[in-house]
Amino acid sequence: MRRPVLVRRDRPVRGGQPLAFAVGLVVALLVGAVLLMAAGHEPMSVYQRMFEKSLGDSNAWSLTLNRAVPLGLAGLAVAVAGSMGLWNIGAEGQILAGAMGAAWVARIGGTWPGPMLLTGMLVGAIVGGALLALVPAVARARIGVNEIITTLMLNEIALRLLQWLIHGPWKDPASFNFPLTPMLPDQAHLPMLFGRAHYGVLIAGAVILVFGVAASRTAWGYELRIAGSSADTARYAGISLKRKILTVLLLSGGVAGLAGGVELSGTADRLTEGISNGFGYAGIIVAALALLRPSGVAVVALLFGAVQVGGQSIQIIGVPASVSTILQAFILFGAIGAGVFVRYSVRLIQMGVDASGEGEEAT
Amino acid sequence: MTEASMIGLLVATVSFGALLYLAALGELISEKAGVLNLGVEGMMAMGAVSAFMAAHQTGNPWIGLAVGVLAGALTGFLHGWFTVVLGAEQVVSGLSLTILGLGFAAYMGKNVVGRPPGGVLAPVDWGPLTDIPWAGPVLFGQAPFVYLAVLAGLATWFVLSRTRIGLALRAAGESAPTADAAGHSVVGLRLGAVVVGGGLAGASGAYLTLTLTPQWAEGITAGRGWIAVALVIFGAWRPGRAAVGALLFGGLLALKTRLQTFGVDFSPILLSMLPYVFTITVLIAISVRSRNRPSPAPAALGTTYRREER
Repeated sequence: MRRPVLVRRDRPVRGGQPLAFAVGLVVALLVGAVLLMAAGHEPMSVYQRMFEKSLGDSNAWSLTLNRAVPLGLAGLAVAVAGSMGLWNIGAEGQILAGAMGAAWVARIGGTWPGPMLLTGMLVGAIVGGALLALVPAVARARIGVNEIITTLMLNEIALRLLQWLIHGPWKDPASFNFPLTPMLPDQAHLPMLFGRAHYGVLIAGAVILVFGVAASRTAWGYELRIAGSSADTARYAGISLKRKILTVLLLSGGVAGLAGGVELSGTADRLTEGISNGFGYAGIIVAALALLRPSGVAVVALLFGAVQVGGQSIQIIGVPASVSTILQAFILFGAIGAGVFVRYSVRLIQMGVDASGEGEEAT
Repeated sequence: MTEASMIGLLVATVSFGALLYLAALGELISEKAGVLNLGVEGMMAMGAVSAFMAAHQTGNPWIGLAVGVLAGALTGFLHGWFTVVLGAEQVVSGLSLTILGLGFAAYMGKNVVGRPPGGVLAPVDWGPLTDIPWAGPVLFGQAPFVYLAVLAGLATWFVLSRTRIGLALRAAGESAPTADAAGHSVVGLRLGAVVVGGGLAGASGAYLTLTLTPQWAEGITAGRGWIAVALVIFGAWRPGRAAVGALLFGGLLALKTRLQTFGVDFSPILLSMLPYVFTITVLIAISVRSRNRPSPAPAALGTTYRREER
């Protein structure tokens, strides 16, 4: 009897992650095809429509780019924390907090000139996101409270806060009791780039670029990676872990918050409960698929944006948009599965012999 | 506040408490074995839609329950396979499971949205016991799920703290190499715990569509899976304390729709924040206290074990 075991490779297969990602995409499309056929749809024509409506022409691209903005920023937020070994699961809540921050500035600055109002809103968004990350950041840095659960809980808290605002103090008096805020003033909208694409695309691109450079080419990024890989090494190098944890989590929250602000002033007319649409959770998948690298985040966010825009476009032909949700999850699971073989090789090992011992290994 | 409305509040407290408790027990078992599963919401949704569809097809709610448990267990297995066997990040896999479960459930159930249920698991008739004032309706007027939750809680406590397999399971969650050295299969134990946990989350989902609502609609789980995750921490990873927490959080859910009837001028939305606020507070309190005594969290929670890399 032989059984298979995974043995870590000396170094991961070169170009393995893009390959794993491609495998994930294929797996997802295959699973999706089975599901579509089971419901009586023609998979090829559905996929063709998804492709055309998300990447087929410049208008489609503009929609995909707009979607990629919150996904990319949320993914970056997760990646920034992740580069230090921290999990910011709270991007969803921080996006909401950012949108609330931006909406608050728009409330008090309704008469301000455009550039001032927009700048104020984006700053408000960053501050809002960072504020929501404050408790997890301080708790983690000062007393070592696991940030996974605290950031997760704050997602639900931020959602309730937003619901309370739009059901109560911020509700549009002319909304016939619908839970939404009044329309944003005209000058609170981000300028357009092309088609439906707005300036948020440039903002997100710039932020991702800056972090990409900072992470790989500056002392700050280097310290971050050291702090992430070994707390002891960081201490020897004189890096203050507490300060690093605090700044990184606040920064991460701020970036996610910015996504909320850009989403509000770029694609929404007003603040509603559905302003985030799960971007924060999808951002975690984006960051994981990108192996926490900013450049990868941009690529994966674009693809996920396309899948989401494509998913919306097939509703008209009677296919539920949940297909795109399923596709996104299976891209990740497929890539995780394939990714294992990037880092490990499979060996068959004789049963009854301890794998770590001197047993006869058969490859 | 009349007596009838007070009794109504208590009945709903126990009822919602059981809903949360079933899912929380599943998460507790999984975490005790060292696997954090943030896919509770997805497993609940899968259990909810599968149970409803099976009951709709067969007209038998018990078959619905069985199918719901099975669906939750299978969804959980996916997480177990990727994290325990393949060594994927538990956080990422769990959250993807939530996204997948919610999406898959929405896709599967699109034809039964708003349909009448094929059968409901109605409150059990305990005969004269149900007529006892207060205790009758609160304790003996409940759906089978409530008694199932109590049994599951007792069974979990017994197995975890009084049996060999429970000891092995806890060892896998505290120190996998130790469990391995003692001759237990860490992979088997953890995979089993995640699957059982998924089954309980599935039962919780089935409770929604077979008794509480009883209909299927997208988003029916409404974040209750996250409360279940919170409950495990609130209950310090102990089935008994989690039960107390479940009643407290269930009480908050029950109170939410009744604030106005009781003439309390407080936003029900803000009230529904409290479970999460409590949980963060408890988590911080645990960390502050654990400077002097060990944390109740399983030591190996969230880590992958590979014997070959010991």
